[in-house]
Amino acid sequence: MASTFISKAEKSYIQAGLLANPPRRADGRSLHDFRTISLETGVAPLSNGSARLSLGQNANGGTEVMAAVKLEVENVDNENAVDGRIACSVSCSPSAYSHLSSGALDDLQHDLTAVLHQTLSHPSLHPKNLGIIPRKKAWLLNLDLLVLADAGNIYDALFMAAKAALWDTKVPRTRSVEYKSPKTFSSASGDMDVDQDTTSGFDTRKVSNAVDFELPDYWDEGEVLDGRERWPVAITLNLVPTIHFLDATIQEEASCSSRLLFVYSYESTSSPTIQSMRTLGSGELTMPHLKDLVKEAEKYTKDMVASLTGKLVDEDLRRNQKARDRFLSRK
Amino acid sequence: MQSTFDRRRINGPEESFPPFFAEESRGSPPRNTSKARKGRTTSDIRPIFLQPGLISQANGSAYIETERTKIACSVYGPRQSKNTTYNEKGRLNVEVKFAPFSCERRRAPLRDAEDRSIAVAIQQALLSSIRLELFPKSSIDVFLIVIEADGIEGCVASGSIAASTALADAGIDMFGLVMSCSAAVVDSDIWIDPTQEESSTADGSIVLACMPALGTVTNVWQSGRMSPAQVIMCMEACETQCVNTHSVVAQALLNSAGTASI
Repeated sequence: MASTFISKAEKSYIQAGLLANPPRRADGRSLHDFRTISLETGVAPLSNGSARLSLGQNANGGTEVMAAVKLEVENVDNENAVDGRIACSVSCSPSAYSHLSSGALDDLQHDLTAVLHQTLSHPSLHPKNLGIIPRKKAWLLNLDLLVLADAGNIYDALFMAAKAALWDTKVPRTRSVEYKSPKTFSSASGDMDVDQDTTSGFDTRKVSNAVDFELPDYWDEGEVLDGRERWPVAITLNLVPTIHFLDATIQEEASCSSRLLFVYSYESTSSPTIQSMRTLGSGELTMPHLKDLVKEAEKYTKDMVASLTGKLVDEDLRRNQKARDRFLSRK
Repeated sequence: MQSTFDRRRINGPEESFPPFFAEESRGSPPRNTSKARKGRTTSDIRPIFLQPGLISQANGSAYIETERTKIACSVYGPRQSKNTTYNEKGRLNVEVKFAPFSCERRRAPLRDAEDRSIAVAIQQALLSSIRLELFPKSSIDVFLIVIEADGIEGCVASGSIAASTALADAGIDMFGLVMSCSAAVVDSDIWIDPTQEESSTADGSIVLACMPALGTVTNVWQSGRMSPAQVIMCMEACETQCVNTHSVVAQALLNSAGTASI
């Protein structure tokens, strides 16, 4: 994790503020407050779905992440039983991490990619409408995230941006096309050879002869990705002995000994599932404490999902319905 | 896939495939209708063979073998850090390397992305057990070679145990030994220490590293879909198993210390 070097005095000052009663943080937030989140979808017109998210835009800059989805057609291997594939990658812009060498930047990119790819490409989240021709061609969904600025809490921002971009993705509709060779021997030849075209009544295979497909949609139309309520959100719980707090700035992250990352998926609001869980940092935890934190994280992610979904629905409306209304009412 | 040509080695053809055996069932085997586990109960781990002090050149070393996972670990340190910047706490570097013949498909001898994920997980597990404040300006290097791998979770778990044993063998001051265990959720059962085949059919899996001597958890790595209740149950099952493993490892270290030549 990118960490600034802060002195011991500053570290203890931040910790003392967090442990005080009432807790004090540098920007006056409470322990469980997030910075202002601004989200916009449809920011990359050449992509199939995109989103830009920023956490806390102020004089110090906030955490800014851009996510974009690009769909490609690929041939399906015989080994893959599932149609369609998801590949995630995170790239960190060097301007966001100016204090890191290129080797360290590569390592950070790799770590962020590993968490996102392992979580989002798991078969339990796989959308069902990524196949084109069963067992022959399928969509490869490339989700690329770009970290433009990092002011702390990068994992939450990455997962939120990923969910927004995936929500916004439109998969072009395809229609299978079959090629039939013209009959070279016309039936008027008179030869009573065995008719090769009779289908035996015993042959019950349904072999699809489709070898190609065409796109009836335009490039910006299509159907939404299946199961888009399933995409998970992440919450990082930063731990200072006896308390935990959310949405840490860079200095706060450097002062806390350990962090816990939880990724929850809310397919149905009553039964959330954990898609990923990681401990980061060098602290130790006891088992009862860990169990409590699992329950706390559930509460936070529930609120997060509700507000994120509300915002995404709003964005959908803004870009489609309201845009049409404005266009119609223009002078 | 971009074929990386390594100039220092004799490269095979650009595209090559492993042979296809007719008897092997290719692809994911159909789920057994009987949900019973083959060969052991759901809460049994595979027997562990652990031998410290195998690599004489290193300050400390350990070799761990659990059925089909074989990992050799060596520890060099504390030695002078190559960094010129001053750091008042020592640094722990963990490097994992998969031997090319360790998995079903040949792995390139070059450093892979998967190596780093496992190294990060093992470093996370060990970080809070070592008294790094006693080694300013120094670094402790832990090198793990995976000779045969049977699933990522198995590698992380066995690697953490081997690394902790090697650190103890090197005489580095620690707060406690780190033990690690993995578990997978298959339907509604929890299977401890899954093999690669078992974890590929599982809904989700978890690897837990803890210090039984202090009763604290140092690393949790969960992947796949599990309900929060299942996560908690798996963690408790792993912790109980770690306590058992701890006594085995402590005994192995005592035996080797007793027979070690000074």
